[in-house]
Amino acid sequence: MSLVARQQADASRAAGGWGGAITIAIRFVLILLGIAVAIQTFIVVEARPQDLITGIHGMADLIWRAIPPDFSKLPAAFWPTLQTVDIALFGTLVGIIIALPLALLAAANMTPSRVAYYAARAIIGFTRAVPDLVWALLFVTAVGLGPFPGGLALGVHSVGMLGRLFAETIEQMDMAPIQALQLTGARRLQVFSHGIIPIILPSLLGISLYRLDENIRSSLVLGFVGAGGIGFQLLTAMNLFQYQEVSLLLIIIFIVVLTAERISAALRERLA
Amino acid sequence: MLRVCGLSLRYPNGKLALSDFALTVEAGELVVVLGGNGSGKSTLLKCITRTLKPSAGEVWLGDTNLCALEGEKLRRARLELAMIWQHASLVGRRSVLTNVATGALGRHFTLRTVFGRLPRCELEAARGLLGDVGLANLAEQRASTLSGGQAQRVAIARSLAQRPRVLLADEPVASLDPEASEEIMRLLQRLARSERLAVLCVLHQVELAYSYADRVIGIRGGCIAFDLPRGEVSREAVRGLYMSEAA
Repeated sequence: MSLVARQQADASRAAGGWGGAITIAIRFVLILLGIAVAIQTFIVVEARPQDLITGIHGMADLIWRAIPPDFSKLPAAFWPTLQTVDIALFGTLVGIIIALPLALLAAANMTPSRVAYYAARAIIGFTRAVPDLVWALLFVTAVGLGPFPGGLALGVHSVGMLGRLFAETIEQMDMAPIQALQLTGARRLQVFSHGIIPIILPSLLGISLYRLDENIRSSLVLGFVGAGGIGFQLLTAMNLFQYQEVSLLLIIIFIVVLTAERISAALRERLA
Repeated sequence: MLRVCGLSLRYPNGKLALSDFALTVEAGELVVVLGGNGSGKSTLLKCITRTLKPSAGEVWLGDTNLCALEGEKLRRARLELAMIWQHASLVGRRSVLTNVATGALGRHFTLRTVFGRLPRCELEAARGLLGDVGLANLAEQRASTLSGGQAQRVAIARSLAQRPRVLLADEPVASLDPEASEEIMRLLQRLARSERLAVLCVLHQVELAYSYADRVIGIRGGCIAFDLPRGEVSREAVRGLYMSEAA
């Protein structure tokens, strides 16, 4: 090896050595940062694991008092359960009806104008950003207690969630059959019903079923702010220390959520 | 039947994609356009269908100049102009029969068709067209289950449902095997003869052009290199189309 070649090899080895050291240092700093972030979460949430251990007998007492579930309250739980499911259904239907046209305006490949595109995107973004619980509080103030504000809250929030997913589905669809239909002389509405809808329908139904599944879970919580359903009954039973009724309601909630989830999953599988 | 005069297209970036292009396709004639990638073949078809607006020139469909029309008048005039692509562009979840019948949508603007249904008479006609392209037995099958060659024949049947006078084909056999390609070209040739269609077909397969075209148009750099009856097209002339511009 010539002198020059040897010098070049030494120089590159030296550079590689420095590079390796810097990489190790960066990794070390990143690991330290990760540990610091984890520790600060414990501080900020005021985590006290010892309280959990000392307080476990309180939880055990609560569970003990909740056993056995009070099945005599089963007939009375039927109506709130139906309300819960229907709040979710109503919210999902309202969401679909409003989200579909909005999604067409908010899809870059379908929108008739940039103004419509940004307006639709703004509505979808706003309805999605405000949590359904906040919408429920607003609607309870507007229309009073009961299942109706719950349905409205889920409907408005679903507009945002469904609108975004619908728009993304429309943007990603295969445009070739649509262009083929347009060139046959079909009108816009015909292209929509014979081209766009058959192409995107399975995806839209799958997304809607998933949303319904989510809405059933949400409608349980909405009852806590007075928006009807089984959540409202659960809150009342807890406030009155009727723990055996609470355990019955929790069993019902578990069955409803699990059934909705299985039906939704099975239907989505069939549509795929 | 189809007459193109002085057609030019300049893109906003200044590139001239088509320059003073002229061609005629008579009823019952199958004309093949050959040319290298980027020579302007597909651009020519897009200008004829008015998917792209030409910078200059005219496209005559019978007595109608498509370049002078806009909106509803253009849509109506374009009903006589059908198009098929490299990919069949069918709606995969709908049946073969429905896909064919959608070709007739332009003639029926009724409440029934707006809500996703099709006129019964057009469904019957579509069944006949499927028979013409040899796929009558697949009418009820989902379009997504077809092979490439079958899907392309369904696309041709759909274009016939439009009852066109001119059929444009943009590389209709590009994604098919040799046997299916021959089948499609035979079908286009038969339709040109029996239905008195003017067929303008863009191809990359020179041998298919030699076998099926009545006339061959060579295109290079957006200009016509030659426009000759099939028998007069020399191998050298065709080779010239595919040589790089720099050579």
